[in-house]
Amino acid sequence: MTGAKPIVLAEDNPRDAELALAAMEEQNISDKVVLCHDGAEVLDYLYCRGPFASRMKGNPAVIFLDIKMPKVNGLEVLRTIKADTHLRPIPVVMLTSSREERDLGESYALGANAYVVKPVEFHQFVSAVKELGTFWGVINEPPPQGSGSGK
Amino acid sequence: MESPTKEQPHISLVPCEGPEPHSPPPSPASDESFWRAPIMWFLSLTIERRILAGFSLVFAGILVISTVSYRNTSAVIANSGLDTRSHELVQLLTNIDMAMDQTENNHRRYLVTGEELYLESYQSVIKQRPTFIRYLEHLTEGVPEQQERVALLERMMDQQLAAEAHAITVLTNRGFEAVKKMALEGAATREISEIHKVVAEMESYERQALRRRVLESAATTTNTIVLLSIGALLQFVLLAAVYYLIRHDITERRRVADELQRRGELLEAANKELESFSYSVSHDLRAPLRHIDGYASLLRKAVTESLNEKATRYLQTISDSAKQMGQLIDDLLVFSRMGRQEMLQTGVDLNQLIRTILYDLRLDLQGREISWTIATLPEVLGDPAMLRQVFMNLIANAVKFTSTRTRAHIEVGIDRLNSGEVVIYVRDNGVGFDMQYAGKLFGVFQRLHRMDEFEGTGIGLANVRRIVHRHGGRTWAEGEPDKGATFYLTLPTRRLRS
Repeated sequence: MTGAKPIVLAEDNPRDAELALAAMEEQNISDKVVLCHDGAEVLDYLYCRGPFASRMKGNPAVIFLDIKMPKVNGLEVLRTIKADTHLRPIPVVMLTSSREERDLGESYALGANAYVVKPVEFHQFVSAVKELGTFWGVINEPPPQGSGSGK
Repeated sequence: MESPTKEQPHISLVPCEGPEPHSPPPSPASDESFWRAPIMWFLSLTIERRILAGFSLVFAGILVISTVSYRNTSAVIANSGLDTRSHELVQLLTNIDMAMDQTENNHRRYLVTGEELYLESYQSVIKQRPTFIRYLEHLTEGVPEQQERVALLERMMDQQLAAEAHAITVLTNRGFEAVKKMALEGAATREISEIHKVVAEMESYERQALRRRVLESAATTTNTIVLLSIGALLQFVLLAAVYYLIRHDITERRRVADELQRRGELLEAANKELESFSYSVSHDLRAPLRHIDGYASLLRKAVTESLNEKATRYLQTISDSAKQMGQLIDDLLVFSRMGRQEMLQTGVDLNQLIRTILYDLRLDLQGREISWTIATLPEVLGDPAMLRQVFMNLIANAVKFTSTRTRAHIEVGIDRLNSGEVVIYVRDNGVGFDMQYAGKLFGVFQRLHRMDEFEGTGIGLANVRRIVHRHGGRTWAEGEPDKGATFYLTLPTRRLRS
């Protein structure tokens, strides 16, 4: 059912991205991951613009958003998504280093579905990514396609 | 070369000695020093003392002026009272003079005619005599010269009346012929002229006194007006000084308020900066650590077959170090947040708090034999979450540092309970510490034990101290190596338990 839907990972740090992908590989979901290097790219993907103009229509299963990113940061992306009726149903998981209450509070206020602090320890990181990927990408039943972005 | 240098002192001496012959007129010099001393003294005072000295001076001036003016005015009023008395006295003297004169004249007519009717004025004077005398004595009270004259006048009046009485007796007994001579000349001619003289003297004395007092009053009045003007001037100076001081004070206050606001803004900016610093610490410093541990793990997985024991240990050390640094950063962030966080102020039930802490520590307590002594603690005022961290740290420490004991003893008790403050201690029989390092105990990242003895980042007691300080309390510790340690803290209580 959800097998075909992609997972968007927004991560500007290539090492973090590689580690996340490595973790997802163990779960065999890495092939579904679309990697974006900044917030602008995430928005391009969601609105099928620029390099993603020819992608298959439809919302991703979940978006993993880092907060601190160049150009457009994670909170701004989140605000845009939750302000758009077509994008609002997409589950958004904030996956970030920041433990600051300010970021946490703002994320939830903007409508984030979950907030995960990246653990320093790789094993914990792997299990976190695994669980998140499995839950949001496999287990969680997404909203009906009608409310997606397809025109 | 030498001679000009030798001469130079002479030249320089001339201007030095020059002014001296001018200064000898000593009076201006001493006059100047007379003024300079108080001025120097005034300038040496602090501003508050200067104000006090100035005000005292002005007050003293006003007081002196008021006193002198009051006395002057009283003198003028007293003078006018004396004037009235003088006028009355003059009037009275005229009346007496006329009455005595009339009596003598009518008495003569009586002697000539034998008509009793003429004795009326004689009889009325005899009746009035005590009144006259009393009145006279009253009006000349306190003036000895006049009193002497009054005595003389009294005597003369008595003599006149006595002479007249004698004449009346003679006329009645022996007939007109016997008093013929007296009827022609008057019975008391000598006394009457004496009375005229005394009255004239007394009148002239009073007129002189009146004139003197008029001059005196005029001078006093002028004096008073001048003094009151000076007083008004002083009061004006005082008012002006008060106005100046108040204005100065207001300006100063405004300046201080502005300065405070500026500092506040600076502080706020500094705080913001600190916040963004800790934000970047939290975000950016942890990323490379994650990478170190992550890639070390990936590496281990990639080469797991070909790794020998040494290489495995190296990789493990890399991972452990990264994790440890991650822990340090997290602890530091908690510590820094502890200083900035908003604090609650509610009543906290420490007994309940400690029960939940022991419940949360149950996994650490497994396999340990610990005897607990926990006193009933009072309710304190503070932030429940922060106080939980305090007791969690202290109790976890006690558990940790007694881990080498076969039988551990941990005690939570009250050392002192004053009004408004309680001293609580947490005591253990663990490894203790050397009192010479007691000062380091509560420092950030200060540890008194090696990492392989007891683990920990060394932030716990720093947090304890910071939280207790924010509650307005103090922390200290006592210990002895291998005997145990006692940690004390004071907290504000809500109410006393009796």
